[in-house]
Amino acid sequence: MAFAIPTISYTGKIKEVVLGKGPKAVTIGGETSYPFHFFEGDAPHAPRIAIEVYDAAPDDWADAALEPYKDVLNDPVAWAKKAVETYGAELIALQLVSTDPNGLNRSAEEAAATAKKVASAVDVPVLVWGSGSADKDAEVLRKVTEVCDGMNLVIGPIVEGNYKQVGAGAIAYKHTVAACSPIDINLAKQLNILLGNLGVPDGQLIVDPTTGGLGYGIEYTYSVMERDRMAALTQQDERLQFPLICNMAKEVWKTKEAKLKTEDAPTFGDAKKRGILMESVTAVTLLLAGADVLVMRHPEAIKLVREMIGDFKTK
Amino acid sequence: MIRIGENLNVMVKKIGAAMKDRDPKPIQELAIAETKAGVDYIDINLGPARKEGGPLMEWVVKTVQEVTDLPLYLDTINTEALEAGLKVYKNKKGRAVINSIMARPESMEAKFPLAKKYDAGLVALLWGPAGLPRDASERGVLAAELMQKAMEFGIPNEDVWIDPIVTPVTSPQSQVQVPSLVEFMMMFNDLQEMTPGLRSTCGLSNVSNGAPDHLRPIINQTYLMMLQRYGMASAIVDAFDDELKTFADSKRPDLSALVYRVMDGEDIDVKSLKKEQADYVKTTKVLMGNILYSDSWLEL
Repeated sequence: MAFAIPTISYTGKIKEVVLGKGPKAVTIGGETSYPFHFFEGDAPHAPRIAIEVYDAAPDDWADAALEPYKDVLNDPVAWAKKAVETYGAELIALQLVSTDPNGLNRSAEEAAATAKKVASAVDVPVLVWGSGSADKDAEVLRKVTEVCDGMNLVIGPIVEGNYKQVGAGAIAYKHTVAACSPIDINLAKQLNILLGNLGVPDGQLIVDPTTGGLGYGIEYTYSVMERDRMAALTQQDERLQFPLICNMAKEVWKTKEAKLKTEDAPTFGDAKKRGILMESVTAVTLLLAGADVLVMRHPEAIKLVREMIGDFKTK
Repeated sequence: MIRIGENLNVMVKKIGAAMKDRDPKPIQELAIAETKAGVDYIDINLGPARKEGGPLMEWVVKTVQEVTDLPLYLDTINTEALEAGLKVYKNKKGRAVINSIMARPESMEAKFPLAKKYDAGLVALLWGPAGLPRDASERGVLAAELMQKAMEFGIPNEDVWIDPIVTPVTSPQSQVQVPSLVEFMMMFNDLQEMTPGLRSTCGLSNVSNGAPDHLRPIINQTYLMMLQRYGMASAIVDAFDDELKTFADSKRPDLSALVYRVMDGEDIDVKSLKKEQADYVKTTKVLMGNILYSDSWLEL
């Protein structure tokens, strides 16, 4: 008898979600097999990369990460345009770090105005990310949904502590929510259920499992994402059949290994190359675990990962 | 199913204080109440009992035996406290049981001789040198090792209560162990053929640890039916949980029949069932690992 390669029998399908509006809108999801298992199923939409834009000039970035954006650091609109026009961003991820109550603590109104300016300046879909403070995000993200009425932004991170306020805004003003749970598959599922009960349509929900950078807990994220895809695709777990987004760049670039200058850590090798490779390897790892959208920073890392996605697609 | 009452525990505020003050009243009242509630054994849990564990166990055993004839589980990791309790224990309606021994050489070498010397039973946890076993086979290996060691020490099979260690279904790391323990219970039947008389026990309520309080009973009840199917002989439980007693006494054959069908892989359409039945079907699926746990599993 001839040898037959064992294949997995799938019973589920990841839901398709459309991000943004107009001709540059992006569809993600739709997979019927594990990541890159083209021999077993279908993956109609390739994973996408969103390029980060910050609403305030960063003061703690590695030189290598600052360099590509040094002329636009104080202007999120110009930054977003550069990301699209120069680096070919298919999506923009606007990080509203200036709203952090432990930092600049900018108001919800100010942040929402910035979000609207950025989203109006580019034709690609925009993800708007809060500071991660659940209470402040409830205010800020809620305001963003309202001010950017009908623009179909991706709004995150939505957590258990603020899902009602932000979720209600997303329903009323038609945005997609990114449900974020702390690297825990059971809590991820529970938040999806809660958002569904609230009335968020399935086509407006994606999942952020929370990610660690390479060497900083990425294996936990990997396991959660792997389990998520197993439940969604082989156990018909309808409440987990959503595309996955990984907000990874800030995790990679805050690590010692990505930030140390070449002269301060000669044994670590060239700082720029090191940071780019840390980001690329993190990205590829998360793609293999099932990510549909990656939030990335350095143009060269993005280029490397795009090439890899292309290579995989053409088998 | 044999029930061991878990309530006499140093962690319970009132009981802990009474133990500290050597006040017999709350302890005896609880022992009497547990006896009336119909448990088969009373577990006396002293926790680690590092300081003065010996005199404390001696006093508690005497205090409890003044008011009840039920046999006792002596629950502490302090070997000296165990021995002090066994020394004064009187066999009225059954022998004392040491709770517990681990499948580790130092634990077995310290406690098997105690069981032999004082003619006591013992709970043998399937917790090996590498910690919690990862699957049914590793549990099987530990159980076989334990039984071989017990034989070397001359402990009769019926004095060993294998505890395969129940883990919570609510957390990602431990939920895979929930169905694997059921799988182990199927193997356990074979083990019993090799070592006739061997018994089994479990800390049942740990399975629902972390779930919302009002939803813990259905998880405990369902898991009890699942384990009982393959011969789980006993469980350490809340003595006053009458609802659970109904299940322990196998008085819900309608529900256990349904649970068994799910365990056997039958795809039951929950929409055709009444709410109560549907809830047990869903819970069985979660405990079998067919549905990933979430706090809202009954609503889906």
